Amino acid sequence: MQLVIDDARCTGNGRCYALLPDLFTDDERGHGHVVGDGALSDDQAEAARRAVVACPEDAITIKDQ
Amino acid sequence: MTTPTTFRLVDAPMALDRTAGFRFVSEAGEVFQAADGSWVLTSAEAVHFAHRHPEIFSSAEAFGAAGMPVPLIPVAVDPPAHRKYRQVLDPMLAPRVINALEDDLRAQIRDLVAAFAAKGECDVVRDVARLYPTQVFLTLLGLPLTDRDQLVSWVETINEQSIPGGTAEPVPAVVEAGMAMLDYVQVCIEEKRQHPGDDMLSRVLALEGDDAWSNDDVLGLCWLLTLAGLDTVTAAIGFTMLHLARNPELRRGMLADPELVGPVIEEVLRIEPPAPNTPRVTTQDVEVCGVHIPAGSPTILFLATANREAGRYEHPDDIDLAQADRGHVTFGGGIHRCLGSHLARREIRLVVEEFHKLIPEYEVAPGFEPRAVWPSSTLHLASLPLVFPAGGGPS
Repeated sequence: MQLVIDDARCTGNGRCYALLPDLFTDDERGHGHVVGDGALSDDQAEAARRAVVACPEDAITIKDQ
Repeated sequence: MTTPTTFRLVDAPMALDRTAGFRFVSEAGEVFQAADGSWVLTSAEAVHFAHRHPEIFSSAEAFGAAGMPVPLIPVAVDPPAHRKYRQVLDPMLAPRVINALEDDLRAQIRDLVAAFAAKGECDVVRDVARLYPTQVFLTLLGLPLTDRDQLVSWVETINEQSIPGGTAEPVPAVVEAGMAMLDYVQVCIEEKRQHPGDDMLSRVLALEGDDAWSNDDVLGLCWLLTLAGLDTVTAAIGFTMLHLARNPELRRGMLADPELVGPVIEEVLRIEPPAPNTPRVTTQDVEVCGVHIPAGSPTILFLATANREAGRYEHPDDIDLAQADRGHVTFGGGIHRCLGSHLARREIRLVVEEFHKLIPEYEVAPGFEPRAVWPSSTLHLASLPLVFPAGGGPS
């Protein structure tokens, strides 16, 4: 599974990296980014769903590969 | 075509119980026209739609014509020009910038709390919430903290007298405070031009060439930061402490597990948004949740009701830390997402952490009934007296 942030939708609410700093990081504008290549284990995918729900812009998705 | 209802926002019963007040709004409908002709969007779907279509729901039209002496930068700007301002401003209020200020900001709130910790009583609004956001603003802009009380006085005069839906006649005291505050900011700008520092104001003034801001733009930014960034945080601190005071179980659970500070803050922000609604004006005919709204309509995005929508939350009207991840639109959404949201969250967190280090046990002063001021430009508590064991220090 693959964790993806749609940069066009992100407006820098910062919920993802506040909740899950292992999976997300912030840039100098406060926008969120996926750590590394975004590949998720099953356990990580479970955690990542919290960020999917928390993002006010619906900018985060988990894609099945 | 829907006919206007008899709905008036000023009639919402907010003072003692926001649940009743916000229900008054949501029960009027998902999308409806109020008695004054403005349109009100109350559902999460309707509010999200407006946030994601800033080209249809103009912020510039809503904030531009309000008799402001300078343009409110950047909220009174629509795309595409809006982007230019946010690209400059977002990095100045990003979490990593606030991290660098945190030790200073923490020491400041520690001092404010220490001043009354031994007395056995305080008024959270008077002694903390009114003062701290202005200190943080002055710190961010590299201005002396000794300006605090004067700035608080101007901002309170302007905000207290500027009741939405009130008289269109300018109130003399507001005009006077507004002019004095703009004069003050202008002097600060001149000083920063002469002696730039490592602060937000100096960084904006250092922009050059095509990126340089006009003097009015810089004034407008300071105007927005003071009028939108101070009393909102004052309100949020008041509501956070109100719920912690009224709910010892919530408070003790949070003190036993510091991981819960974030969820507590998010849940209070969700159910008690200091800016429960925000204005827009439609630029074209639009259909929202099946309701037609004509072009040129003043429209109110009701954030507070979107935050309490049944179906999105298991306990929409209550603090439930298990649903804190579900988020809220207290800071708005889309391109106009509150510029100061990261700073606001940090301020509230620092207040919660430092207050409880010195005063872990307290309650609302017996017999006092906390009341929210409504109608008001910012929904806030006028006063929140607390009592606690005198002598201070954790027991």
